[in-house]
Amino acid sequence: MNELERINKTVDQNPSLKSTEKLTSIEVYDKYGAMAYGIILQIVPQPHLAQEILVNVFSSPQLQLCNSYPFTFAVCIIKLARMKAMETKGKLLGIAPEKRDLGIYEGERSPGLVFDLAFCQGYTPEEVAEKLQMSKSEVLRAFHEFFKSYAITNAAKL
Amino acid sequence: MNNRDIIESGILESYLLGLGKDHEQEQTKQIVLADHTLREYIEVLENNIREYFDQKSVNPPSQLREVLQLRTLKSETRKEKHVFGKAADSQNRQSGVYHDIEVNDTHIKVHKYWRPAFITVFILSKIFLIAGLYYFFKSASLENENAKLRTQSEQVR
Repeated sequence: MNELERINKTVDQNPSLKSTEKLTSIEVYDKYGAMAYGIILQIVPQPHLAQEILVNVFSSPQLQLCNSYPFTFAVCIIKLARMKAMETKGKLLGIAPEKRDLGIYEGERSPGLVFDLAFCQGYTPEEVAEKLQMSKSEVLRAFHEFFKSYAITNAAKL
Repeated sequence: MNNRDIIESGILESYLLGLGKDHEQEQTKQIVLADHTLREYIEVLENNIREYFDQKSVNPPSQLREVLQLRTLKSETRKEKHVFGKAADSQNRQSGVYHDIEVNDTHIKVHKYWRPAFITVFILSKIFLIAGLYYFFKSASLENENAKLRTQSEQVR
């Protein structure tokens, strides 16, 4: 079964993948709070600071924009949690993005490393490409490989 | 670029996680919204991403929910202050509706004016105490002196 056939099958099985109901902040927190906290802790490992960011995420007016987000709420929360954590991390370190260490990485260039640099450490795909001496398209492809291998491992576990 | 190339290029993952630049994000959004198959793929991808982050989820402390509840309520009240002429709001205010909130906090919260009031009362009580003691000892010494003078005058007689 190729990738597109797998998609069609999954969508047929889950006709209501996208929820259209409007949720309040507390309902969203109950549903996605743990996930957002996990994401924030990956970026800012200090629990007290992470908790402050978590409250900011779920009390921010930007959360209401997720109600009109074209795709699922979960992904909107992931983006918002990452954005808030990155803002705090930036303020905390007082480092402008252009002053970050872009030293060339000598070790293994796995999709997991590419994802970690881009998602958790806040490097742009161009910066990751420079750091790992890859092309930008290879970096983007690594994101795809990362989630593809995750989906395969997950399916094998089930 | 056909759909397979778009999927394998990783731009959809970059779009969903907000890793690209704004114009790239907008471009990808337009591509996805225009194509039914890509929209379906995005839904599956969203599920994968959600499952991945669900596995990494960490339960936050239970007190955070209460903090969030309070903060949300505060911002709602602030909004209500600026909304005029809404029948439902004015009804609520007239009937004096209170919000039920359970707060797991051992501290008592009072109005900020209680602090200067308490300090004033404390200082006044100290002044009265000192004044009271001063006049008590003064009257005691005067009584002693009076008694002494009385005995002296009796002796002279």
